[in-house]
Amino acid sequence: MILLENIHKSFGSLEVLKGISGRIPRGEVLAIIGPSGSGKSTLLRSINLLEIPTSGKIFVDNTCITDKGANIGKLRTKVGMVFQQFNLFPHMTTLENVIYAPLKVKKMARKEAEILGKKLLEKVGLKNKVQTYPPNLSGGQKQRAAIARALAMEPEVILFDEPTSALDPEMVKEVLEVIKSLAHTGITMIIVTHEMGFAREIADRIWFLDEGHLVEDSMSQKFFKSPKTKRAKSFLEKVL
Amino acid sequence: MLLDFERVWPSVPYILEGVQVTLAYTGVSLFLGFLWGTCLALFKISHIKVLKWFSSFYTSVFRGTPLLLQLMLIYHAIPQLTGYTISVWEAGILTFTLNSGAYISEHIRGGINAVDKGQMEAALSLGISYPFAMKDIILPQAIRIILPSLVSESIDLLKESTLISVIGGADILRRANIVASEKYLYFEPLLIAGGLYYVLVMILTLGARILEKKLKTS
Ligand SMILES: Nc1ncnc2c1ncn2[C@@H]1O[C@H](COP(=O)(O)OP(=O)(O)O)[C@@H](O)[C@H]1O
Ligand SMILES: [Mg+2]
Repeated sequence: MILLENIHKSFGSLEVLKGISGRIPRGEVLAIIGPSGSGKSTLLRSINLLEIPTSGKIFVDNTCITDKGANIGKLRTKVGMVFQQFNLFPHMTTLENVIYAPLKVKKMARKEAEILGKKLLEKVGLKNKVQTYPPNLSGGQKQRAAIARALAMEPEVILFDEPTSALDPEMVKEVLEVIKSLAHTGITMIIVTHEMGFAREIADRIWFLDEGHLVEDSMSQKFFKSPKTKRAKSFLEKVL
Repeated sequence: MLLDFERVWPSVPYILEGVQVTLAYTGVSLFLGFLWGTCLALFKISHIKVLKWFSSFYTSVFRGTPLLLQLMLIYHAIPQLTGYTISVWEAGILTFTLNSGAYISEHIRGGINAVDKGQMEAALSLGISYPFAMKDIILPQAIRIILPSLVSESIDLLKESTLISVIGGADILRRANIVASEKYLYFEPLLIAGGLYYVLVMILTLGARILEKKLKTS
């Protein structure tokens, strides 16, 4: 379970998050939506401390990760992340990308790691790309490899930051299919997305962010049928 | 005027032995300078003020004074200050390492900054520690980016290593000079020395080009 308590974040004099509180139960799929610049990425990146909140508390599994002495490395092994720009390591093969962290962080034996890596790459449909270098993969293949890389650490939570926004339209579907296959398998998923159809289909809960505020926190069906706030309503009218 | 290579001919093997000496100074200093330059670059991007200050001051001193002066200072000042009689070899390696470290650190810092920020974020998000991320993810990419500058740095060092002959290092240039004064023939031995340096630089350039091509296709 993830708990946010009054998260504020400023970059210099610009306040990007203006007091966000919320609760994400274990195994839930949460979609964060909202206009561009509303603070979605910043909020997401706070959960694995790629951004350090200016104030407020974040708990993951009852551990306060924003405390001074918190073990950030350990937190990050529990919280995986998939980026808009994939961020695969270009000088490593797809398989090496997937098994590097299990080898170095979990100290897994190489043989075991390779078996795990190949299994995960097969799961995301990249069985025959095991020895390929990322520059030779298509966008969709890159993102699927990045998902396999995040899964290799067996995280309890995966954060997705607009996982399909950098893809050519014809590759969006293959990536969304892979993400869908992970939903409701026990892993908690937090997805920042502009794909409203996808959010509606996959998410249990929707957070609607606007100008650094969590304007609406609703169950997905309810949100899309009848948003509580005016701002959410007009946002939906614009994007649907 | 005629060139008289016949009289120099017997001394050619002696000059050729200088190739090893020149390559040893260049190679060892380059290797150590690379390690030292990497440390300095990491200091420069660290958040520790003292290290940042030290490394930029260090770099500006070594880039802002003549290499020959640095060499002479180290060769003459160390015995005077510490009582340790430093050999020509030690003085050369130390000076060239400290000097090339300063230049290389600037390249490496540039390379690290040129690597996409997302690479470090991806590594950290997997729980990889900063040192491992630097060593296995960021630096390999940074070095690939700056490979051409590293090659030109090594060519510079190869040519500047001739300064060692000033304090008596038996490199190509020094040997050519010795032959010259023995035979009272200046042009020919220096021509041979020049040819040797040129060939070495060409080999380096060619090797680098092949390496770059290989890296590009992989
Ligand atoms: N590292 C940063 N430094 C300064 N400003 C930033 C930084 N990251 C984000 N911002 C600013 O914070 C605001 C929210 O950004 P972001 O969280 O990326 O929004 P979203 O993901 O909803 O589009 C934007 O105005 C953006 O310019
Ligand atoms: Mg964003």
